[in-house]
Amino acid sequence: MSENYKFDTLSLHAGHIPDKETGSRAVPIYQTTSYVFNSTEEAASLYNMEVGGHLYTRISNPTVAALEQRLASLEGGASALACSSGMAAMHLVVSAICSSGDHIVASSKMYGANINLLQHTMPRFGVNTDFVNPNDPEAIKSAIKPNTKLVFGEVIGNPGLDIMDVPKIAKICNSKNVPLVLDATFNTPYLMQPFKHGANIIVHSLTKWLGGHGIAIGGAIVNGGNFDWGDKDKFPTISGPHFALGGISFWEEFGPSALIAKIRAEGMYNFGPSLSPTNAFHLMQGIETLPLRMKKHIENTHSILDFLVNHEMVEWVKHPDLETHPDHEVAKRILPKGSGSIVAFGIKGGREAGKAFIESVQLASHLANVGDAKTLLIHPGSTTHSHLSSEAMKEGGLTDDMIRLSVGLEDINDITKDFERGFKAVKKLNK
Amino acid sequence: MIINFKGANTYLGTGGKSLDINKRTLCFLHGSGQNHLSFIQQARFFAYKGYSVIVPDMPAHGFSDGNPCKSIKENAEWINDLLVKLNLKDVVVIGHSQGCLVALELNRILKNSLEALIFVAGSNEIPVNQFLLDLSKENPQKASQMMVTWGHGVDGDMSINKWPGHSHYGEGNNIMCMNKPTALMYDLHSCNDYSDGIDAAKNIKVPALAVLAKNDQMTPLKSGLKFVELIKNCEIHILNCGHFLPSERPIELNSIINSFLSKLK
Repeated sequence: MSENYKFDTLSLHAGHIPDKETGSRAVPIYQTTSYVFNSTEEAASLYNMEVGGHLYTRISNPTVAALEQRLASLEGGASALACSSGMAAMHLVVSAICSSGDHIVASSKMYGANINLLQHTMPRFGVNTDFVNPNDPEAIKSAIKPNTKLVFGEVIGNPGLDIMDVPKIAKICNSKNVPLVLDATFNTPYLMQPFKHGANIIVHSLTKWLGGHGIAIGGAIVNGGNFDWGDKDKFPTISGPHFALGGISFWEEFGPSALIAKIRAEGMYNFGPSLSPTNAFHLMQGIETLPLRMKKHIENTHSILDFLVNHEMVEWVKHPDLETHPDHEVAKRILPKGSGSIVAFGIKGGREAGKAFIESVQLASHLANVGDAKTLLIHPGSTTHSHLSSEAMKEGGLTDDMIRLSVGLEDINDITKDFERGFKAVKKLNK
Repeated sequence: MIINFKGANTYLGTGGKSLDINKRTLCFLHGSGQNHLSFIQQARFFAYKGYSVIVPDMPAHGFSDGNPCKSIKENAEWINDLLVKLNLKDVVVIGHSQGCLVALELNRILKNSLEALIFVAGSNEIPVNQFLLDLSKENPQKASQMMVTWGHGVDGDMSINKWPGHSHYGEGNNIMCMNKPTALMYDLHSCNDYSDGIDAAKNIKVPALAVLAKNDQMTPLKSGLKFVELIKNCEIHILNCGHFLPSERPIELNSIINSFLSKLK
């Protein structure tokens, strides 16, 4: 990150200076698929990765690049790449580093789609994953094998809100020469910058707090540039010869930015999960107010925690900023500004009570997203996980009565008033 | 490519093409605490234009082992020995920052037998303040960070980069972290101690090109302009950027170098 400008300033300015020809202050939306080459020589130099520039929007685009450079700056990374979703980002990282026969160690307490990709999809391509408790560094250490190519986890687990002790895990990964890849969606660089704690690669769902307005799906990979890919036997996809460009070694030619160069040249080129320039613009508009929004998200979250903890209809409340949370001490250490604005809580009365609550609130939106400016709720027991038995849900760290709340930016009194409406409906049901 | 040179593994960037000693060779010399990656956007560009390219990682820098050279003269002798080992004869040397001082000394050793000299963000002297000299010994990582911040123009602060998605600061810091911890200290002392630049510059008889940076805080423009006045018939260009000209203005720099090379015999 810049030494001369602070986070709030970079959120507004990084990646873009006013357009010289038009004076446009806002980042222009370059809604184009392709770019005119001034000569055959210029075209060749772009294809050969001799110099930077744009040749086709599937690979890169000026509006998307402004977003990427803003993210690299905010995270303190060497380079970044934006793509169509957070899941695309994760798949791009895994496919860039791993090949058939390789192994991954991942947190067992993660977002369902992250688990699905590693547990069910990647094994079809010969990449297998062992899932371990993210709060057990020794288990992570013992799970790393000679063919382990990355360790993957979430800084703040979704939906269980487990906090990974990043410095500790990073130290283990470093000693084993394995990159630590973190999904940092729930913390955003405002609350915590994982590279400062030793992580190597970050993936984001930009759809959530970074975008912040629930209007555009997007993802990103930020490369710390702090991992040595030089072991050609262990990381042949990064340091060995690539099939194109005359057998290019991304590590030798691009050093700290080898991973992003590789993903752009192979992942974006061959799989094509590009982000639309218009969505990049929308996401950047969100990032401009990230510091303001995150402050308010945390403020409202702390107020709602007080409200829920003291409410007679609430069985339990889970948030890492509460002393009762098992990872509270880790959260205090690595997330001093706050541990995000997702709260899990249980309503007295189980699955039916949860359902009644969700169906009675009016201001909070019942939907499958988090990180919007608006307050969002979901009851996994009656929606996303309704096909599972209580026992199966428990195994995944979920309970029948659990409500996942994404605290928004509304007036806190309006949120609590709305929740009282929900609790009233539950009371009626319990009678 | 890695070669064994003077008993140590030594890395030479070749821009993704094989070294062909029958072609004109462009030898890029990196600056203090840098390595071949400071010329990412020059090495491949010129290799694909038909030149042979070598970008050596000096000892203890980048992917090269060995002990760091302890003076500009020692750096120049090391490069000279490397050119001999590789049997390179038709050579244009392009130095950036400290690499310019090494190029000056190399030209003296070779008695003006190089084909041309190109100085990027260079001068005949690079004094280093005592604070940075001390910091490079005590905390080379912090010293590197400060150099990266001072060294870039406004594009560094705002992460404005022609290479999509790349951050000057993030990349710059990590490039410097790839070197052995003592490399920066010896580089900075070598620069600070070098005092033969005026004679070396006056002695240049080969075609010369200097590309200077308007907002250079490491080798200020004022110093660069004094330097080029010492060189007979030096072609001069000034670009609007900071000291890390090869990554801040790659397309403009490549175009100027390309045009200069096309005029050589």
